[in-house]
Amino acid sequence: MGLDSDLGLRASDLEFQGSPATLLEGRICYALDAKELERLLNNYPAKVKKNRKQHILIKDSERQQIEANTRTIPGIITNRGCAFAGCKGVVLGPIKDMVHIVHGPVGCAFYSWGTRRNKAKAADPKKNFLNYCFSTDMQESDIVFGGEKKLAKMIDEVVEVFKPEAITISATCPVGLIGDDLSAVAKAAEQKHGVKVLSFNCEGYKGVSQSAGHHIANNGLMERVIGQGEMNEASAKYAINILGEYNIGGDGWEIERVLDEIGYHVIAVMTGDGSYEELKNAHVAELNLVQCHRSINYIAGMLETKYGTPWLKVNFIGIQNTIDSLRNMALYFGDEALINKTEEVIAREAARIEPVMEQYRKMCAGKTAFCFVGGSRGHHYQGLFAELGIETVLAGYEFAHRDDYEGREVLPGIKPDADSKNIPELHVSPDEKFFSLKIPAERAEQLKQQIPLSNYRGLIPDMKDGSVIVDDLNHFETEELIRIFKPDIFASGIKDKYVVQKMGIPAKQLHSYDYSGPYAGFNGAVKFAEDVSAAFNTPTWNFITPPWKNKPLLTGTVHNA
Amino acid sequence: MEKQTLSYRSVTENPCKMCMPMGGILAFKGVERSMVLLHGSQGCSTYMRRHIAEHFNEPIDVGSSSLNEKGTIYGGEKNLRQGLDNLIKVYNPSLIGVLTTCLAETIGEDIDRVASAYLQERGQEEFPIVTVSSPGYGGSEFEGYWMTLTRIVTKLAQKVEKHNKVNIIVPFISPADIRELKRILQLMKIEYTLLPDFSDTLDQPFARPYKRIPDGGTKLRDIARMSGAPGTIQLGVCVAEGISPGKYLEDTFGVPLYNLPIPMGIENTDRLVNVLQEFSGRATPKSLLQERGRLLDAMIDSHKYNFQGRSVIFGEPELVYAVTKTCLENGVFPVVVSSGSKNAKLPELLKAQLEQVPQQMHFLNGGDFAGILAKSEGANIAIGSSEGKYLSEKAGMPLVRIGFPIHDRVGGQRLLSVGYTGTAMFLDRITNTLLEHKLANYRHNVYEKFYPGTKTVTEG
Repeated sequence: MGLDSDLGLRASDLEFQGSPATLLEGRICYALDAKELERLLNNYPAKVKKNRKQHILIKDSERQQIEANTRTIPGIITNRGCAFAGCKGVVLGPIKDMVHIVHGPVGCAFYSWGTRRNKAKAADPKKNFLNYCFSTDMQESDIVFGGEKKLAKMIDEVVEVFKPEAITISATCPVGLIGDDLSAVAKAAEQKHGVKVLSFNCEGYKGVSQSAGHHIANNGLMERVIGQGEMNEASAKYAINILGEYNIGGDGWEIERVLDEIGYHVIAVMTGDGSYEELKNAHVAELNLVQCHRSINYIAGMLETKYGTPWLKVNFIGIQNTIDSLRNMALYFGDEALINKTEEVIAREAARIEPVMEQYRKMCAGKTAFCFVGGSRGHHYQGLFAELGIETVLAGYEFAHRDDYEGREVLPGIKPDADSKNIPELHVSPDEKFFSLKIPAERAEQLKQQIPLSNYRGLIPDMKDGSVIVDDLNHFETEELIRIFKPDIFASGIKDKYVVQKMGIPAKQLHSYDYSGPYAGFNGAVKFAEDVSAAFNTPTWNFITPPWKNKPLLTGTVHNA
Repeated sequence: MEKQTLSYRSVTENPCKMCMPMGGILAFKGVERSMVLLHGSQGCSTYMRRHIAEHFNEPIDVGSSSLNEKGTIYGGEKNLRQGLDNLIKVYNPSLIGVLTTCLAETIGEDIDRVASAYLQERGQEEFPIVTVSSPGYGGSEFEGYWMTLTRIVTKLAQKVEKHNKVNIIVPFISPADIRELKRILQLMKIEYTLLPDFSDTLDQPFARPYKRIPDGGTKLRDIARMSGAPGTIQLGVCVAEGISPGKYLEDTFGVPLYNLPIPMGIENTDRLVNVLQEFSGRATPKSLLQERGRLLDAMIDSHKYNFQGRSVIFGEPELVYAVTKTCLENGVFPVVVSSGSKNAKLPELLKAQLEQVPQQMHFLNGGDFAGILAKSEGANIAIGSSEGKYLSEKAGMPLVRIGFPIHDRVGGQRLLSVGYTGTAMFLDRITNTLLEHKLANYRHNVYEKFYPGTKTVTEG
C-alpha cells in the first residue's frame, strides 16, 4: 500500500458484505430511514418527540440544519454537564500553576477532582496543583449567612501554604443564588496578597450545558490573563499557541513533539499542561491553532480582533488529518524551509507508522462505529476510524452549537436565545500596544481559499450520505440506535460506556481514553489502532456473540493508491 | 487518643466526602424498578452518574430536571413535572425518587407539593414518588443515603399483620457484601427483607436482552410490609436517630430495633450471628462456625505481619468504625482514624476501643486528606477509597481500597469484606499489602540501616 498524498486510505474503496450498515457507492445503506426514526421517536411524549426530531439528521446531499445548544429536556438521560463543569472542569482545571478553588458545597469540587486525565508536568513540582482539590465546603449556615468570609479566609490559607502565581475561584449553584460577590472577594484578596485572583460566575444553572462554562472561562482568561505578560514579540520564529488542546492522556505532548521537531515555537497551550505564566504572553504568537473549536473559539476570535492573530482550525487526530494540519500551518507561514522540513517529518513519521497501522487495519477493516463525544471529538475521530477501515455510521456532539455541525457560515443566522444571552459577551478591540496584523489582509483572504483559516466547516460535510447525526444523544436513543445499526464499536464516554457494553458491543471512551492514550498525532494513531484492535480481538468476546461474529469481514481488496 | 476537628481551617483540601444526593441515588438503586430524578442543574446528575458508573462499571441512569437560569427565577416546577413525564414514559418505573440539590433547596422548591399535585392531576395518587430534601450543603453522601432510606420506608411502610420476615437494613457496602449477608441469612434459615438490595442492580450479570432498568432490588411490597417484621437489624451504629429507618419502624410500628455495626471482624460478626440466632431459634450451623474457625486460623497465621501494620483509616463513619474494629483485633493499630463527614456517634463508639491503642492516635471527625496526611507519621498502610492514593503519592503509604469510590482499580463492586469469610479476605488484602510493601523495600531499608547514607540500592 502506498504512502502518497492520502495514504491510499479511502474508505469508499472498500467493499463490504452482509454487515448491518453497508456501504454502497459511498452511501451508507441499511441505515436509519425516516420511518424507523419516526417509530423510535414515538416512544416519547408528543412534545419531546417534536423537540428531539430537530436534533437528529439523516445525512443527505442537501444542505441540512440541525438544532443544537438548546435546553436539555428534563428527565431525558442526557450526557451533558453544567456550566461549572465546562468552566472549572474543562478550561480552567488543566492550568497547572494556578490553584483552582471551588466555592460551594463539597460535591462539585470532589466530582471535578482529577477526573479528566488532563496531564501536566511542571518544571517546579511545587507549582503543579493538578492533584489538589480545594473547596470551601459550604454548610447550611454559609448558605444562610453568606460564604464570602469563608472564601476570603480560605484564599489567605491557600496563599500562605501553596504560594501560587494565581488563583481561580469557580462558583457553584448556590453561590450565585445567595449573592456572594466573588469578584469583590477576589479583588480584596489580590490587593492583600499581590497575587492574581480570578473569579468565575459559572454557576451550574447557567446556559444549557457545559458549553456556557467554556465561554465564561474564555472571557475570564482573555480579560485578566492573556496579554498581561511583558513580551513584545516571540523569542523565536514560527511562534504559535495551541488552543483547545487539553492534553488528555498526553495528546498535547505528542503534538508538541512533532511541532518542536518541525521548528515551531509553542508559546502557550490552552489549556492542557498549560500555565498561567505562558498564557500571559499568548498575545505574541503569529498563529493560533484551534483543536477543539467548541470550547475555545471565543478566545480564538478575540485574539484575532485584539492582537491581529488569525486562527487555523487543525485536527491532530488521525494520520491524514495530522498531515493536513501540518501542511496548512506550513502554508500559512509560507516559508520554504519550513515547508520542506514539514514534508520531511511527515514522510518519515508516516513511513515509520504505516506498516504498524497496516497490521491493525487488517483487524479493523469493514467494521462500523458510533462516535458521540463532547464538542469536537465526535468529528475529529472519524478520519482515524476511516484510516483503520472503520466507517462512522452515527456521530454527534453532547453540547456543541450549530456551527460545530454545519460550519461557521451559519453563525450570522443563529439568533441568540434567552439562555445564550445570560452568558456575557466580551467585546474586545484592537490592543493599543500589541495589535499587529500577523499577515497582510490580502494574503489572509487568499489563504482562506486554501486552508481553514479562521474558519471551521463543521462535522456534517465530512459525513457520508445515509449516516446519522444526533445532537445530545441520550441513553434511550443510544440503546435504540444500537439495535438498529448494530455498530461494532461505540466511541463515547463513561456514562454510556456500560450501556453499550451490556449490549455486547465494545466501547471506547473518548473523553478519558480508558486510562490510555495519547491518541493524537502519529504515535497516538498507532496507540488508538492498538486499543481499538484489542477491543475487537480480545478472547473475551468468544464467550458472547458480538455483532460481527458469523459475518464475513472484508471481502474486497484495498487498491494501491 | 487525641481528638481533632480541624475547625480552625477554612480550606477543605482534598476532601474525603461527597454530597447528600450521591448517597440518595445509591440508596434508591437498591429498590426494585426504581428511577431517580435529581431536581437541579443537570451537572449534579451527570457528575454523580459518572462517579457511580466508574466504580460499579454499570450503566447508571439518573434523570435531571435540568434547571437553568429561568428556573432559578420562576421556580422549577415545570421542569420537574416534565422530567417526571419523560421518566415515566421512557422507563416505566415502579417508583421514582426525587432528590433535591443545592439549587432546588436554595430557591426553596417544595417538591412534596409538586409531586403530590402531579400525581393527583393524573389520578395516580398510588404511584410512589419518594421525595428527599438533600441539598449538597446539608450533609455528606452518608447522611443522604440514610435519610433516603428513611424516606423510602416512611413512604411505603403500611400497617400490616405481623409476619416472620426480619428487616435487614444495610449501609453502603459492596454488592458482594450484600450477597454474603444474604448467604449467611440463608444458612441460618432466616426469612428477611433486605433494604436496599443493590447486589444485582449495581452488579448486573451480562445477559441479553439489555434491560433499561436492571432486575433486582428490594421489592416494593416487601418494603410496605417491613412494619410487620419481628425485628429490624440495622447495620448503622453511626446513624443519627432522625435519619434512621430502623428507629422510624420502631417508633411508628413497634418493630424492635437491633442496631449493629457492619459485621467485619470477629466481634462485630459474632454480634450479628448472635442476633440472627435469636431470631431463628436454631443453633448456628456448623458450616458458619467453621468459617469463624478459619478466620481465627487466618488471624493467627498472619498476626506477625499484621502487628507490624500501622494504619490510616478513612471514609464513611459506619465503614470507618467496622474497619477500625477489625484492625484493632489484629494489631494493625491505627495512627489516624478519620470520618469524611462529621459524625456525632463515632467519637463515643471509638473512645473505648481506641484506648487499647499503644501509640499516639489521632481521631479526625470530618477530616480531609491534607489533615489526615499531617497526622499520619508512623503509619505504613492506608485503608479506604481511591482518593487515599493521595497518601500513597505523598507519603509512600500503600493503599488497601475499600468503600466508595474506587475508580483507579476495577472490582470495587466485588470486594468482599463482611462476615467471617469476608473479614478473612479483607484481612488477607491488608496482610498481603503489608508484605508486598515490606518485600519491595526490604533490601533498601536494611542497607540503609546498616550503611546509612552510603549509596542507594536500586534492586528490589
